[in-house]
Amino acid sequence: MMQLTSNTNWETIDKHLIKTEHDIVNVRQQIRFCAKQLNMGIINQTRITTAVSELLRNMYNYGEGGEVLIQKGMVDEHNALIITCSDQGPGIDNLELAMSDGYTSGKGMGYGLPGAKRLVDRFEIESEKNKGTIVRIMKWN
Amino acid sequence: MNTELHEKRIPIIKIGNFLIVSIQVDMHDKLAIQLQSQILEEIEKTGAKGVLIDISVLEMVDSFIGRMLSGMASMAAIMDAAVVIVGMQPAVAITLVELGLEMPGVDTALNMEKGMEMLEKRIADEEYEI
Amino acid sequence: MGETHNIQRIKERINNIEDVLASVAAGDNEARINSETEDDLSGIEAAIDLLIDDLTDELIQREKMQKEVEDKLSKIQEQQKTIFQQQADLMELSSPVSKVWDNVLILPVIGTLDSQRTQIMMENLLEKIVETGCTISILDITGVPTVDTQVANHLLKTVTSARLLGAECIISGISPAIAQTIVHLGIDLSSIKTKATLQDAMIYAMKQNKLSENVKLQTLFTDPDENED
Repeated sequence: MMQLTSNTNWETIDKHLIKTEHDIVNVRQQIRFCAKQLNMGIINQTRITTAVSELLRNMYNYGEGGEVLIQKGMVDEHNALIITCSDQGPGIDNLELAMSDGYTSGKGMGYGLPGAKRLVDRFEIESEKNKGTIVRIMKWN
Repeated sequence: MNTELHEKRIPIIKIGNFLIVSIQVDMHDKLAIQLQSQILEEIEKTGAKGVLIDISVLEMVDSFIGRMLSGMASMAAIMDAAVVIVGMQPAVAITLVELGLEMPGVDTALNMEKGMEMLEKRIADEEYEI
Repeated sequence: MGETHNIQRIKERINNIEDVLASVAAGDNEARINSETEDDLSGIEAAIDLLIDDLTDELIQREKMQKEVEDKLSKIQEQQKTIFQQQADLMELSSPVSKVWDNVLILPVIGTLDSQRTQIMMENLLEKIVETGCTISILDITGVPTVDTQVANHLLKTVTSARLLGAECIISGISPAIAQTIVHLGIDLSSIKTKATLQDAMIYAMKQNKLSENVKLQTLFTDPDENED
């Protein structure tokens, strides 16, 4: 299992509970705002927002909602925006399979995780059966 | 919550043989699905031959909305209406390609005018064949 | 009497040595004992003076060197700044997108392509397509000696993204070396319109232009009849 990178020096910007689809839209907009504040270019803003949207959808559809943590801080000498999505859903059986292109376990059509991974600079996932899933993504500015 | 959904209903305008849809809000999944069936119903009702979907103000298209749009194009095609996606932003296009959604078979145009030309050409071609 | 006087003098001289050493330690490079009497103690005093000479020499040398290093460092930092600026300028300059004909954009690429430059180029081209509304763009890579997998993928991505915007992107001037690399790398460019030379690409672009012009005329002629029926 992958160990999530973490650092106590990261500054927490905000924290949200995801319960409805409106929460997804709101968080998406806030992420774009934060990316803009970190001086990311328009394309990187769009990349991180889209990646978060994919993760939130997974969380909403399979994890019965969950929590998003928005942070900023230094990672490997990069000024990074760090988003952590955690749910208490059923967890992912086979991470390798879930990360491969075109795989889907249900309503999603298999672009979610691998797609989100391609859009960010760092992608970390931790999942335990019947306990839940944590995904942490980072984008350098 | 329900009233909010209704407020956000996306208008579909009919001009000549075409339907024009301009997506101006950040859509959540339910709204996207709702829009899809709304457009298909409108095609049936009006017998429109083409649909122009303007997404020039959309700052983000994720895999769900991307699939909704390409699905929309295939469904409309079966109903004999052509769909043209108009005005996608460069950042959105790059992100979609990186996500792995290259949307093959979906027609696109730089702006409304070019999209309209494209649909007219298609209809003219079909009539020419007869 | 003489004894106490001598002891007194020796005490003074030792005090003097202490003072000098203290001022040297405090950073005074000029302080010396400079004893004028000739006796057993003066040997020690001379030796201490010599030691101080050596020490101050070394100190001065070190300070000089440190200053030199600092100067050089700041110079290097300055140069680095200039290099970054020039790199950024070069990036901008090296991907000039120009409109050469009605509806046709050209991006001539010269020099080695790395991943970052290709990315910036791609963004520039797509922005320009939207800005000008040109539906055909030609990416001429005649001046590119070689590409790697990443760059080839970026080129592919550019063409696919352009299509999503509603524009066609043609790649011209693929050299034999690049053609070999692309096929060896297993990158599929079959979905992309490629032309041998910039001239061929231009001719193709003009033809496409003419085609859409004809269509416009055709619809102008057929439309009124169709609508009345």
